[in-house]
Amino acid sequence: MRAANRGDTMAYHRLLMAITPVLRKVVRARGAALGPEGCEDVLQDVLLAIHSKRHTWHEDAPLRPWLYAIARHKVVDAFRARGRRVEVSIDDFAEGLAAAAGSDPAEGRDMEKVLSKLEPRAAEIVRAFGLNGETTAETAARLDMSEGAVRVALHRALKSIARLRERMIE
Amino acid sequence: MKTEDLISALAADTMPRAPVGQQLGSALLVAIGVSLAAFAVFWGPRPDIWAALGSFAVLKTLVPLAFVLLALAFALAMVHPGFPHKRRGTALGALIALAALTFMIALAREGQVGLVSALSTPSLVTCLLSIPALAMPLLAAAIWGLSSGASTRPRLTGATAGLVAGGVAAAIYSLYCDKDMMLFVLPAYATAIGTVMLAGALLGPRILKW
Repeated sequence: MRAANRGDTMAYHRLLMAITPVLRKVVRARGAALGPEGCEDVLQDVLLAIHSKRHTWHEDAPLRPWLYAIARHKVVDAFRARGRRVEVSIDDFAEGLAAAAGSDPAEGRDMEKVLSKLEPRAAEIVRAFGLNGETTAETAARLDMSEGAVRVALHRALKSIARLRERMIE
Repeated sequence: MKTEDLISALAADTMPRAPVGQQLGSALLVAIGVSLAAFAVFWGPRPDIWAALGSFAVLKTLVPLAFVLLALAFALAMVHPGFPHKRRGTALGALIALAALTFMIALAREGQVGLVSALSTPSLVTCLLSIPALAMPLLAAAIWGLSSGASTRPRLTGATAGLVAGGVAAAIYSLYCDKDMMLFVLPAYATAIGTVMLAGALLGPRILKW
C-alpha cells in the first residue's frame, strides 16, 4: 500500500488482488440474501471506496484496521441501501435471483449501468484499462491523447463512478 | 464489469490525493480570511481592545481557540478510519465539562438573578446572531475539508466541524464583544457555538457520505 500510494501500479494491483478474496468472503457471509451478483456489486463498492479513500491511511499505521474499517462501513452502508430497495420492489429482487444462476459470479451488474451513464470517452478509458488491460501509453496512442491526459481522465472517471454508484443505491 | 477488470482500472489510476489535513488547513485559512474581512467591515474591534487583551477578558478569545485545537484533532482522527480517536474525544469532552463546571460555579456564586441581569442586554441577540454568521464560511470550509476523508461517524464529525467553525467565529467575535461577565460570556457563546454545531450535525450525514 505504501508503494501504491507512491504510484507503483504493479504493487497496488497485487495488493487489491490479494485482499479481494478476503473481502468477497466477508461480503458473502453477511449478504447471502443479495445473491452472488449483488454481493459482487457490494464488493466493487468496497474496492472503489478503498481506492478513493486510500490517502486516509497513515503510512506508519497498520493497514489491516484501516482496511477493515473501510470495508465494514461500506458493507453496512451498501446492505442498508439495498435492503431498502428490495423492500420497495419485489420484482427487482426476484430478477436478481433468477439472473444470478447462470452468470459469472465475479461479475457485478451495477458497474455496466454506471458506465453507460458516464461520458462515452471516460467509460472508454475505464474499459480500456479494465477489460482490455491496456497500458497508459497504449490507450493514449489509440485515443490520440497525451499520457497525462489519459491519467487525469481515468482519475476523474473513477471519481464520478464512485459518485454515481452512491446516488444509484440511494 | 468483472471485479478483476475493475481492479486493473483502479490500479492504473496513480494520481495522488492530498492528505485530508492539508485540504482542511487550506480551506480553513481561506475561510478565516473571509470571516476576518467580514468582521473588519461589519463589526470592528471594541474601542478598548488593547486594554481588554491585557486583562482576563483575553480568555474570551483564548478559550474558544483551545476548543478549536482539540476539535480539529478529534475531527481529523475521525476521518481516518482505524485511527484511534477515543483519547482525543475524551480530551475534548473534558474541556467541555470544565467549561460547564465553570458556569455552574459562577451561577452558584451569583444566583439566578445574576444570570438574568447578565443576559438582559441587547448584546445577547448580537452575540447569538454574530457568531453563527461569522461561522458560516468556516463551517463550509471545515465540512468540505473533512469530506475528502472517510468519516465513519458523519453526524459526530459534522458537529465537531461545527465546533471548529463556531470556536473560530467566537474568538473573532470576542474582539468586538464588550461584555466580560462570565455569566454572560459562557452561556451566550456556548449557545451560539451550539447552533453552529447543530448545523454541522445536520450537514454531516449529507456531505460527509462516501
